[in-house]
Amino acid sequence: MAVEMNMPILVVDDYKTMVRIIRNLLKQIGFENVDEASDGAEAFEMMKKRKYGLVISDWNMEPMTGYELLQKVRADEAVKSTPFIMVTAESKTENVIAAKKAGVNNYIVKPFNAGTLKAKMSAVIGEF
Amino acid sequence: MPAAEVAARVRESLQSVKAADLKDAQLMEVLRLAQQLTDTMQMFFGSLDRSIHTEFNAIAAYIARTRDEIAQLRPNDIKEQRIPVAGAELEAVVGDTEKATETIMSQAEAVMMMDASDPAAYKDAVDEAMTKIIEACAFQDLAGQRVSKVVSSLKHIEERVGRFAATMGVLDADATEAEREEAERRNKLHLNGPALGGPETGQDDVDALLGMDQDAIDALFD
Repeated sequence: MAVEMNMPILVVDDYKTMVRIIRNLLKQIGFENVDEASDGAEAFEMMKKRKYGLVISDWNMEPMTGYELLQKVRADEAVKSTPFIMVTAESKTENVIAAKKAGVNNYIVKPFNAGTLKAKMSAVIGEF
Repeated sequence: MPAAEVAARVRESLQSVKAADLKDAQLMEVLRLAQQLTDTMQMFFGSLDRSIHTEFNAIAAYIARTRDEIAQLRPNDIKEQRIPVAGAELEAVVGDTEKATETIMSQAEAVMMMDASDPAAYKDAVDEAMTKIIEACAFQDLAGQRVSKVVSSLKHIEERVGRFAATMGVLDADATEAEREEAERRNKLHLNGPALGGPETGQDDVDALLGMDQDAIDALFD
């Protein structure tokens, strides 16, 4: 099935510059319908109101971390199937494994480039 | 009043009463007993005085040494100068970095949106944007100098606190309940922060881990 290039994507990061970087990289690879949240709690509220085709989330945020958001999303019937990519500087093996156990679809280690983002998005939502 | 002085006064009073040439035998007997009691008390309190005096001397010496060590620590300099200045320098680094990032991002976004239909005008506009980006990168020099000052202050504090702790034989207290709870929360949520020297697990290794089945992952920890 072809990827809907206009699908809404939710970018979750408490660092505005990183949100801006991801937004620019998404624009460069063809996705412009992007919403922003600054932590897991805000993101979850937004997910209850709008169906997103993909969530791209940082890990280390307050008050709700990306890891907690992932767990909350996977435990909620209404949004549990939303594709979820973690983009984070948390690079310990234990983090990757914890995210995998919690149901992450892919995991990108910061710093990253447009090529990595595109490759991981393709692996999760299909080639585009 | 010291015990020896009290005893001397009591003895003086007794001598004075005796000198009054009292005839009452019972009263004289009481005075004799009082004198014996006073002499005994003087010996007792005298020994107490000496041991307390020794203890107080030791405590006074310890307090003097502690005061000297605290003075060497220069806590007012640390509290009023080094820490506030270091904080201000770090805030300036954050501010400079944000300003530079804003300039670089804005110029890059402007270039991405430029109309390239007129190559000459496009080149001029790109050159102008690139010059602004290069200028903005000057923040790195300032940030480097500011961070060096902060590192210098931290080393100064580390050296003095270390010396104080070693001299005074200070042992670390147990973590507070709030600190323990915070450490537990960070551990539970795997909040480790960025690793020094680059990612601890590179993207290729992350990909490999994500591709492994759970049994294989569990085997890594056996």
